[in-house]
Amino acid sequence: MARTPFRVEVLTPEGLVFDDEVGMVSTRTEIGSIGIMARHQPLLGRVVPTELRLYKSESDIVRFAQGEGYVQVSEDGVLVLVEEAQTPGDLDVADLKEKLRKAEDDYAAAEENTEQQRRAGRDKRRWEAFLEIAEGA
Amino acid sequence: MSASQRDVKTRIGSVKNIQKITRAMEMVAAARLRRAEQRIAALRPYAGAIRRMTQQAAEAAGSSEVSGLPILSEHDSENNVALLLVTGDRGLAGAFNSQIVRAGLRAGRDAESSGQGVRYSAVGRRGVSTLNFRDKDPDGRYVGFTDRPSYADARAIAEDLMAAYIDGKADRVEIFYNGYISPLTQEVRRETLLPLQQATILESDDEDEQDGDTKPSRALVDYEPDAKEILAKLVPDYVEISVYRALLESTASEHGARMTAMRNASENAGELIEDLTLEMNRARQAEITQEIMEVVAGAESLT
Repeated sequence: MARTPFRVEVLTPEGLVFDDEVGMVSTRTEIGSIGIMARHQPLLGRVVPTELRLYKSESDIVRFAQGEGYVQVSEDGVLVLVEEAQTPGDLDVADLKEKLRKAEDDYAAAEENTEQQRRAGRDKRRWEAFLEIAEGA
Repeated sequence: MSASQRDVKTRIGSVKNIQKITRAMEMVAAARLRRAEQRIAALRPYAGAIRRMTQQAAEAAGSSEVSGLPILSEHDSENNVALLLVTGDRGLAGAFNSQIVRAGLRAGRDAESSGQGVRYSAVGRRGVSTLNFRDKDPDGRYVGFTDRPSYADARAIAEDLMAAYIDGKADRVEIFYNGYISPLTQEVRRETLLPLQQATILESDDEDEQDGDTKPSRALVDYEPDAKEILAKLVPDYVEISVYRALLESTASEHGARMTAMRNASENAGELIEDLTLEMNRARQAEITQEIMEVVAGAESLT
């Protein structure tokens, strides 16, 4: 069944990376995976690093590795606001492994319950998600 | 050709080579400056969207939630100040690097004389090496990206500073960078990053007020997780965006400063070449005159 298309923008600090009509958006918020279709209830959500999938059709899917950010659903469409959005092909597995290892070291070295530790935890989660995408791509 | 003429000729050659290099550097800086300007423009929609979302979330969460966030609350006493100096990885850009380091060190001395502890951090090899040289031992050394800073670089810096602030290692954080006004003009800017001013967040800037059609609709909005949690993540984004904007402006300023410095160098080289050419021609003419005199004198002695 064809889905009603709606407008989606993916915006990063480095510019607009996607602006087109799609049938469905699939991402992950703090609470869990979410699929957004046309006429979704207005929403403001905090998204976590995962693979962002934009279904232009059943077979034509645009994918991004998304960093932390937000998703906003309004009457005008969907705005995905993320710190970074990279095409899976641009990810470098060796580089990500190195970053993940460093984040794990930082996490272990940081004192319990400090901002420094929480920060290393966020880094760890991001590089783990990106690594998974890179290895799957 | 006499020895002195040959010397002048070699000097002209080497000055011409230098001029070629400075011209090339000027053109490279001009191209990079354009790219840096585009990147500053690309940040604007993102910053605007973050601002609108913050207002929406703050409205839903209630403004009392905003002031409870750790990076917004001022510490009871200011014992430690953290200073971040934003310089470039490379020199040959006029006063670009030195004016930042000078302003930062002066602020550091002022804070020390009023009894505060000072911790330095630096972006760019120039700043890091100067601080090392002065025995200031910077906490954070962020190098290798000043030509093209990414948001991830800014996030790493901002998170370090916020962690230092929240964990009580610093009670105030200031940033020094070259603000970009035009390719010819840069100014040293000194801004307080932390504690973040609540006014910065809840006041809308002029750009937003103009497009009235983006007013948030009054429809019932779902929040995932809840408005308070979203707000707690949005507010630190302001610090990241501020750092990112400072890095971008600093990069644009660096290229602008280098462009100006290299244009001046090319002009100076041109003047030097003119002077040297004049000197060479004069020497050659003197030699010719000398030879004619000798011939005439020889001919005269024969008659």
